[in-house]
Amino acid sequence: MSVAGETLAGAGDLTLRKTRESLWSKARYKFRHDVWGMVALGIVLVYFVIALGVWLGIWGQGWSAVGGEKWGSMSAEYWFGTNIIGQDVYDRAIYSIKTAFEIGLVVAVLSTVMGAVLGAIAGFFQGSWTDEVILWLMGVLDSIPFYLFVAAVAFALGGYAYSMHLAMIAVFWTITARLVRGEVIKLKNFEFVEAAHAIGVPHFLIIFRHIMPNTLHILLVQSTIVFVAAIKTEVILSFLGLGVKDGVSWGLMIAESTQEVLAGHFNNFVAASVLMFGLVMAFNMFADSLQDALDPKKVS
Amino acid sequence: MEVLRFAIKKLIGGIPLLLGVTFISFLLMVYYGPDKTYELLGKNPTTEQIAEIRHELGYDKPFLVRYGDYLKEIVTLDFGYSDSTGERVNRILKRTIPISMAMVTPGFVLGNLIGVILALTAAHFRGRWMDKLIMGGSVVGMSISLLIVVIAFQIIFSSSYGLDLFPVRGWEVYNVTSYIQYVTVPTLVFIFVSLGYNTRFYRAVIVEEMERDHVRTARAFGTPPAKLLYKNILKNSMIPIITRIMFSIPLVIISGSLVIETYFGIPGVGKVTYDAITTGDQPILKAVVGLTAILFVLTLMATDIMYKMVDPRVSLK
Amino acid sequence: MADTTPLLEVRNLTVEFRTEHGIARAVDNISFDVGFGEALGVVGESGCGKSVTALAILGLIPSPPGRIAAGSIKLNGRELVGLPESKLRKIRGSEISMIFQEPMTALNPVFTVGNQMSDVLRRHKGLSRKQAREDAAELLRLVGIPDPKQRLREYPHELSGGMRQRVMIAMAVSCSPKLLIADEPTTALDVTTQAQVLEEINLLREKLGTAVLFITHDLGVIAELCDRAIVMYCGMIVEEAPIEPLYDRPRHPYTEGLLASIPRIRDRKLKRLPTIAGMVPDLLQLPDGCRFADRCEKATGRCQLEIPTLEGARKRKVACFHPVNG
Ligand SMILES: Nc1ncnc2c1ncn2[C@@H]1O[C@H](COP(=O)(O)OP(=O)(O)OP(=O)(O)O)[C@@H](O)[C@H]1O
Ligand SMILES: [Mg+2]
Repeated sequence: MSVAGETLAGAGDLTLRKTRESLWSKARYKFRHDVWGMVALGIVLVYFVIALGVWLGIWGQGWSAVGGEKWGSMSAEYWFGTNIIGQDVYDRAIYSIKTAFEIGLVVAVLSTVMGAVLGAIAGFFQGSWTDEVILWLMGVLDSIPFYLFVAAVAFALGGYAYSMHLAMIAVFWTITARLVRGEVIKLKNFEFVEAAHAIGVPHFLIIFRHIMPNTLHILLVQSTIVFVAAIKTEVILSFLGLGVKDGVSWGLMIAESTQEVLAGHFNNFVAASVLMFGLVMAFNMFADSLQDALDPKKVS
Repeated sequence: MEVLRFAIKKLIGGIPLLLGVTFISFLLMVYYGPDKTYELLGKNPTTEQIAEIRHELGYDKPFLVRYGDYLKEIVTLDFGYSDSTGERVNRILKRTIPISMAMVTPGFVLGNLIGVILALTAAHFRGRWMDKLIMGGSVVGMSISLLIVVIAFQIIFSSSYGLDLFPVRGWEVYNVTSYIQYVTVPTLVFIFVSLGYNTRFYRAVIVEEMERDHVRTARAFGTPPAKLLYKNILKNSMIPIITRIMFSIPLVIISGSLVIETYFGIPGVGKVTYDAITTGDQPILKAVVGLTAILFVLTLMATDIMYKMVDPRVSLK
Repeated sequence: MADTTPLLEVRNLTVEFRTEHGIARAVDNISFDVGFGEALGVVGESGCGKSVTALAILGLIPSPPGRIAAGSIKLNGRELVGLPESKLRKIRGSEISMIFQEPMTALNPVFTVGNQMSDVLRRHKGLSRKQAREDAAELLRLVGIPDPKQRLREYPHELSGGMRQRVMIAMAVSCSPKLLIADEPTTALDVTTQAQVLEEINLLREKLGTAVLFITHDLGVIAELCDRAIVMYCGMIVEEAPIEPLYDRPRHPYTEGLLASIPRIRDRKLKRLPTIAGMVPDLLQLPDGCRFADRCEKATGRCQLEIPTLEGARKRKVACFHPVNG
């Protein structure tokens, strides 16, 4: 029994691994032939290089220096003019790319991990009280007005700089978890999982070694979607005074610009919105192409 | 009768959700929330004064008792008085909710309606340039932040740098003309921001439905394309469409109006909530969270009943 | 017998689909006729292009990715290929109608049976709402559904599979079509229901004089229902013959293989064609020669290089260089 079960588990795992490999190689082929997707990825990479440069201290370092005049116009020294206290708008906008990637990556990675783990557990133990509790938690988090939740987290954490990130992670993981849960429910009825049960492989090994790798494509697509959502949410939160605490971000710049645009000073607003639009648009298109390539269910 | 029994069952089923939402919100917002003791005291308060204020605010009661009090407030729908203005919370809500409804309804309805129409058009021309144009436009719309749209529209429609057609901010509505004056720009913002997401979602739903066998049957029996779309396909797509519309209602009313009302200085429930966040006005926050949770449970219930209306296969059991 | 024009005349029909990896020719240069009131069977393995042929006749090839690349389809002497959509719509459901394989999903779940049936009647016959409902009830009675008035008010999910397929049949014959295409109408049903539904189709054919194009996997069904059959393989017709000679002396090795691997033809439990050793070639990598050559015991060098054409007497044709039972 045990030997037979083991072979069966091995064989089933192998066929599934084969379909998985073919899914990825097909996806790679499809994505490579998707011109818009490749262009979008190129743009995202350019942004990423700029962010890396800021992080390494190569450029964008003069974001906080107060040097120029109030609302100075474009000049050789200040490429995009200066803001109300004479800071360089160009440097601030460039530095904000780093902020955006920081927020996007932290939130996307952590919320995806959390969603994957909790979703997989809920799906694997479908119908049990563990599942019920996780489902209940997701329902609860989805029903609390988001901005109130962020505000509450910010207060509860006493102005901790990463409270915005935490709040976003705490809310964004539910979508990923629902998708993963559905997929795991489908996967756990495969023969190889049953065979693994039969030969006594521990549950957590079955979940994380045998099942989770087969949800990777969902996680990848989902994390790109969360990345975009995080960047867009930051802008609103910063405007509401709940966002970035240290440094500068597009949200802070746009929030600042609300005081100036009606007086005819558009530098802050234009610099931040154009850069932000470029990144979000490219990322949206990239996410789309990724989904086209990886999600067999997606209709086009 | 069947519907009534179902509604009651759903309401009871919603209790765990209600408890969860209120508990987490209470924990974060009230228990770990801002401490108002010293704001209300004069300089150099004595220990007795401090104790007295803490007693007045209820801070000295055990946690569960305070949470119980909150639940009682929700059940009786009586949320006490605002910390900052001293006005009855219920009165504030009664005044501000209608304003928010008046502000979001046109944009919400049009955003979904135009979304469905664009989605039907795109699906009809699936794969052709019209489809690509609409879907490309949707991605652009999805990529522009709400805040950017708000500012840009204010510049375009309400400032001397643009058309200068509508008031910059505020809400002085006393008749239809003034309503249109003040509601137009927020409505346009709402439509612009939601249209991309809506169109994409609805198109995906409709295209999926178009590939079903029964649509092929209808075509094989000579159904003209327009009728195919609005009769055979649209009604079948109603479940996901209703789900999306219904579930965006609680979120849109609170979250969407929060930003727009704050920016345009419209005294709706969103603005009140924002002010309560910044000043730590707990009675108002407690009321907003509690009511949203109730709204969610009601929405869940209403959605299931609507499913039954559009799809004969759904039973309310 | 006088040489009259047939009801349906398909000539050199070719249907192509654009796929990610190239153009797939799902139907390749096929020709056949269906006479008035005749029942023609179409047999072949899964994926050989039976359904695509049927959809092409109705002008329903999904486009993109598909298109009729060449050929002509004439109904009663009138060309259907290239006819504008609006004209085709008038033909669909009235002159030619089709029954599909999946009775579970082929009807619209959110409208009542009556609604869907009277829709067709009103559109093609211009009936009033009330008249259409009466006719619909009459049609349901015709296909042996008890209590038709009640059934009209029900939704598809309230009916059994067999009932639904009867509703489909009633709908298909509601405008007295000249040609009824049945695409594996019984495959999804259980054995007893299958027999009843086939019986129903046979009765209607006799009563209404409708010609039937009957697509199936089931050779037994063909023998019972059809006058003549064509055998398809990989997008092409490999043999065409009246039923008796086809069963007694099949000429194509593929047909022979199909028949030989059935223990008893009349055993209706057979749902899938029995397998012949080897694999059907990929539509994207077709061999130069005969498509069956790789699986054929008789194949010679010529078979690998040249595609045999469908030749023979008017009613007895085969596409093979080395026909059997010759
Ligand atoms: N929409 C489509 N896009 C691409 N290829 C298609 C499409 N529809 C059919 N094909 C291809 O055409 C070929 C013939 O398909 P068809 O449905 O006619 O087979 P069939 O003989 O009816 O098989 P079955 O017995 O399984 O119904 C298949 O190889 C299929 O891959
Ligand atoms: Mg078929």
